[in-house]
Amino acid sequence: MATANPIPDMSPAPSRTGASLLVLFAAMPAEQLESLLDKLIHIVPPDELLVAAEDLATVEVHPELRILPLPETTAYWTFTSADFVRVYQLAQKHEARAILMLGPEAGSLSSSALFDLCNGVLTAPSDLTMPRYALPANAGLVNSAILYPLTRALFSQRARYPLAVDMGLSLRMAERLAAAGQRFTAANQGTALIWPLNEASVAGFMITEMDVGSRELPQPIEADLNSVLALVAGSLFADIEAKAAFWQRSRSLPPARSILSQPQTTEAAADVTPMLDSFRLAYTNLREIWSLVLPPNSLLGLKRLSLADATTFRMPESLWARIIYDFLLAYRLRTINRGHLLGALTPLYLAWVASHINVLASGTDSERHVEAVAAAFEAEKPYLVSRWRWPDRFNP
Amino acid sequence: MRYIFATWLQTNVPTAPPVYANNGSIWHHMSEALFQSLYRVLALLVAILPGFLAFFVALAVFTAMGMAISALLRRGLTAVKFDDRMARDRVNVDWTPSSSPTALVARVSFWVCVLLGLIIGVSAFDASYATGTTLPISLLPYLTHAVGAILLLVAGNLIARFLARTVLIGAVNAQMQYARFLSLGVKWLVLVLTAAMVLEHLEIGGHVVELAFGILFGGIVLTLALAVGLGSRELVSRSLESHAERTGERGVVPPPVTTGGHAESLRHF
Repeated sequence: MATANPIPDMSPAPSRTGASLLVLFAAMPAEQLESLLDKLIHIVPPDELLVAAEDLATVEVHPELRILPLPETTAYWTFTSADFVRVYQLAQKHEARAILMLGPEAGSLSSSALFDLCNGVLTAPSDLTMPRYALPANAGLVNSAILYPLTRALFSQRARYPLAVDMGLSLRMAERLAAAGQRFTAANQGTALIWPLNEASVAGFMITEMDVGSRELPQPIEADLNSVLALVAGSLFADIEAKAAFWQRSRSLPPARSILSQPQTTEAAADVTPMLDSFRLAYTNLREIWSLVLPPNSLLGLKRLSLADATTFRMPESLWARIIYDFLLAYRLRTINRGHLLGALTPLYLAWVASHINVLASGTDSERHVEAVAAAFEAEKPYLVSRWRWPDRFNP
Repeated sequence: MRYIFATWLQTNVPTAPPVYANNGSIWHHMSEALFQSLYRVLALLVAILPGFLAFFVALAVFTAMGMAISALLRRGLTAVKFDDRMARDRVNVDWTPSSSPTALVARVSFWVCVLLGLIIGVSAFDASYATGTTLPISLLPYLTHAVGAILLLVAGNLIARFLARTVLIGAVNAQMQYARFLSLGVKWLVLVLTAAMVLEHLEIGGHVVELAFGILFGGIVLTLALAVGLGSRELVSRSLESHAERTGERGVVPPPVTTGGHAESLRHF
């Protein structure tokens, strides 16, 4: 984590008319926006700051700030392709040097977190600054189960939150993301997700991760887990498919960082029985569909799990890694309809969550378990690469 | 009475069957009848043989043309990197074929040629058959009906499988215990509908098919309605309760899981 204060060194170049930092705020309540602006003007001089937001009520509160009014759009829980296109256009137009994007509920970020993010984006030689949140053990489970291990294993990046809702971008990084987003917006899919970490890895850009402490994460608008899981996992699978030429080569991971313990909760562990019921029901009914996707060895592992007792229920990390890899392969090969495929993943994910809760209940630290899962994904990567290249080869 | 008898004699005497004097005459007539029949069949075959030949020639020529066009398209599209262009322009669209765009275009062009050959061949055969036979029957309309019926059958099966899987996965994720039953019900609904459409298309069965279809379809719907209605009362009430609790909230937060008086909600995102 960068600690040096960059602000005193930030003397503006006299010839330049643009701002140093363009800050894009997602749609949020006016009070939150005001609070964030209060924090920001203590970190970055107002004349170096360009703020883009949908709510204009704060103009009167901070007359010294240059605020770009944005047209009102549909509020989304994370940044979409349309946002990346828009922010790059703004940065280019106003000659900004760097960009900071703050997602919904960013008001819960502390001043020091904002300071670190600004520091990372303005002074560090980094193209993409990703935050590392300190979330409770029972939050961000899709990230811990699928997004982080998969991104780490395939793109050799240790950033803990690949789908972070806040990030800092250099101008060239923003340009690349806008180009990626343009393909979606041109097809009238402005709400499609973009994976900045993957884009930065492929482009060979520098990535920095900052510890920003706790934060309230916005929750998806979609009502049920199935649709959101399908949306997020499908988007990541599609991105991985598009970048297959990159991740099939072996790369070394950046050095490991010290594992930060998640904030401990005083509440009792969640009951895993409903999740296990869901998994067992799915095992009875969806075995036929799973057998099209998973090899016999994985099906045998699932059979054992379906017979396991709730208290002793543990999904081996290697089994989970292979399941995700097999679903990724089936997504690529279109073994079954992609909507069906991602729908059939939900009960397996719930089984992983149940297993994760049991592991935490046994006293294991949440982060250590997530790291073990990520290590299993790395260990099983040759299996993915082999099956990706020769999908028809015998697979027991 | 005498008049009637006289009339009977007048009408029956000239058409009365010949009285054969011996067995040789019977064999002669039988063989004559057989030869005439054989002659008629052979004449018909000779008449429609050009039609057969025309059918196979048209099919072979258009298949060869299809193969040539397909190979040309494959090479041409590969040369202009059609797949790469499509991959660049195509984003997350729902319809994603399992073959590459080049292979798809080549395959479609091949099968269009084969289909064209089939149509031309059947048309030629139909013309020669109509001239070769005295019966005013044309094969083409019936063949087209049969092809249409086969297409209906294939499409119905595909749709039934797709809907059955969709319902099964959705029901399992909604934790319905009778998910498989529901999925089977939907599958048979579509299959019964398909069968009725196919039979109607082939003009087989007439009103019996309509009646049988109505009874079967209604029966399946009633069974499903009873099963779902009786089996998911608790589920519906639970769903309504949780919906009422969540009104005004945004987000994927599953219902709180209570353990020993403490409630902790899992946040998947």
